[in-house]
Amino acid sequence: MSLPTEADGTVAPSTDGATAPAPPAAPAPAGDSASVRGLIFLRDRGIFVLWGLLIVLFAIWCNPFFFQLNNAILIANAASLSAIFAAGVAVGIICGALDLSIPGVAALSSCVTGYMIMTMGLPVWLSLLVGLLLGAFIGFLNGIISLRGFNPIIVTIGMLSITSAAAAIIAGGYTIPGLNVLDFMGTQRYFGIPAPVYIVAGLFIVLTVFLTKTRDGIRLMAVGGNAEAVRRSGIHSDRYRVLAFIISSACAALGGLVTTAVVTEANPSASPGIIFTALTAVALAGVSLQGGRGSLPRVLVGALILATISNGLTIKGVQPFWATGVTGVLLLGSLFLERWISISVSNRLMTSAQASVHTGTR
Amino acid sequence: MSGKDDVVDVTDNGIPALQLQGIDMHYGYVRALDAIDFHVAQGEVVGLLGDNGAGKSTLLKVMSGAHRPTGGTIRVHGEEKHFHAPSDATHAGIQMVYQDLALVDALDIATNLNIGREILRKGIFGVLGFVDHKAQRKRSEGELDKLGVRTAAMTRPVEMLSGGQRQVVALARSATRVTGDRNGVLLLDEPTAALGYEQTQQVQALIQRMRDQGIAIVLVTHNFPLATAVCDRIAVLNRGRKVADIATKDTDYDQIVGWVTGARPSMFADA
Repeated sequence: MSLPTEADGTVAPSTDGATAPAPPAAPAPAGDSASVRGLIFLRDRGIFVLWGLLIVLFAIWCNPFFFQLNNAILIANAASLSAIFAAGVAVGIICGALDLSIPGVAALSSCVTGYMIMTMGLPVWLSLLVGLLLGAFIGFLNGIISLRGFNPIIVTIGMLSITSAAAAIIAGGYTIPGLNVLDFMGTQRYFGIPAPVYIVAGLFIVLTVFLTKTRDGIRLMAVGGNAEAVRRSGIHSDRYRVLAFIISSACAALGGLVTTAVVTEANPSASPGIIFTALTAVALAGVSLQGGRGSLPRVLVGALILATISNGLTIKGVQPFWATGVTGVLLLGSLFLERWISISVSNRLMTSAQASVHTGTR
Repeated sequence: MSGKDDVVDVTDNGIPALQLQGIDMHYGYVRALDAIDFHVAQGEVVGLLGDNGAGKSTLLKVMSGAHRPTGGTIRVHGEEKHFHAPSDATHAGIQMVYQDLALVDALDIATNLNIGREILRKGIFGVLGFVDHKAQRKRSEGELDKLGVRTAAMTRPVEMLSGGQRQVVALARSATRVTGDRNGVLLLDEPTAALGYEQTQQVQALIQRMRDQGIAIVLVTHNFPLATAVCDRIAVLNRGRKVADIATKDTDYDQIVGWVTGARPSMFADA
């Protein structure tokens, strides 16, 4: 509740702020007024503020059990699986396609890897590599089929069925247990921190750098925002769509493999639940379903918020279904906040843009 | 400034930047364009006027490579070209600015201006495809300064710009792409359709500055005051035929309206 009041505080001087940058604007571009900057900060970083508030809230409410290093590690570990899937969903959505085949790809990759290790006795590294590459290949298929003009949602639903069937066929309908050799990326801890946390950190760093710093990543985001604009710039936008599907499915495969490592068995049943958890984290992070916008660090915090809520409520002995409800409320609340901020920003900018025109500056 | 000398040179040689001869365009039985001759020189703004359905957009699409004409030839700087796709026209130095602008809203001005011609960082990072954001911003600032427009901070997302500012960014993006070693052709489709008076003035000034840099500009518009103010020459289409092609100073508003509506007979009597 402190968010709106904080923003209101910055809104008040907006009339000054709108006219203030106009006079010195002739040589240099007009700086954004303080209120606009505040609102943009709230939009871009609001989820970090929200997470901070939740941590403070639970630290007080669940004192002394919540605010401890061990509990932080627990939360990070709990968030890691959904974070990996959320990364896949987010990259897909940012490039303008919702990839629903993620649970199937995860199941197929883990079963193929499990089969290669347990039944064929192949080396672990080779099995993991094949699992990941298989995921990437399915993403490639999703991509080139969608480019034929078919709706990506239907295509990936079809692929969900195909991959989960293939997983069940390979595993013979049962789980493949006893995959203790994967402990090194499952329950094993390094310097006290579980392996999945490192994997998530590495994945998010690589993907964030890719999307914000590299040519291909920026073009991928641009294709999601306005494919026509990118096409008219002489870029083959189709390539970037396929690339997004490949990244998305590779993340799904990685998620499947880490899940397998944690539970030490490969499960051929694709659980659609993981895509909804991932979607919740992605939506909480303000990734627009229209594509073209979103940031992966925020997605990571989205996944952490989900884990934080369920962790805190569990400590207090609140039934877990309350956590689901609270998440839903937060999600809807974030939608309203974002709508309010966009409208406020455009109103402020409208006044400042007109002010600068009328004073003769550009 | 050496580019400016080239401009004079080329126009003096009488080779237009873009020349179309005898362009026919049929859609089934419908004859959308009938033996259209059209040219634009470097450093010249030619207005293309006409009523809805007169064939302006079709002609513009032929120039931009979106449509292949049924007949006729297209020459760019005197060289005959065949456009199979818009990218061919882009390659030849012809840039189209569409009515819908086609900017990526969520990305900032600098990224929008640089997409498709990114500056990569030096060394290993460049090999990995890392973009040099700083250099890109600097280049874009320089380019906008050259055009005399500084709209907003280069890091401002396009979605936070006003309609006029967006138009300026879209125009600048195309302008920066045609000012290479050889000045190109800019095709503008209704650049002021959604703008207010002052923003229209701003766009008009920008068009004039781009012309002064030696860019050849074709301007499709319904805005007659804009056309008479900014164009060096005006061509009028009526039902797929060119009915007038005259220097702006030799005509007036009433004549143009007459040609557009068809009330005035064609300048080309035998056509």
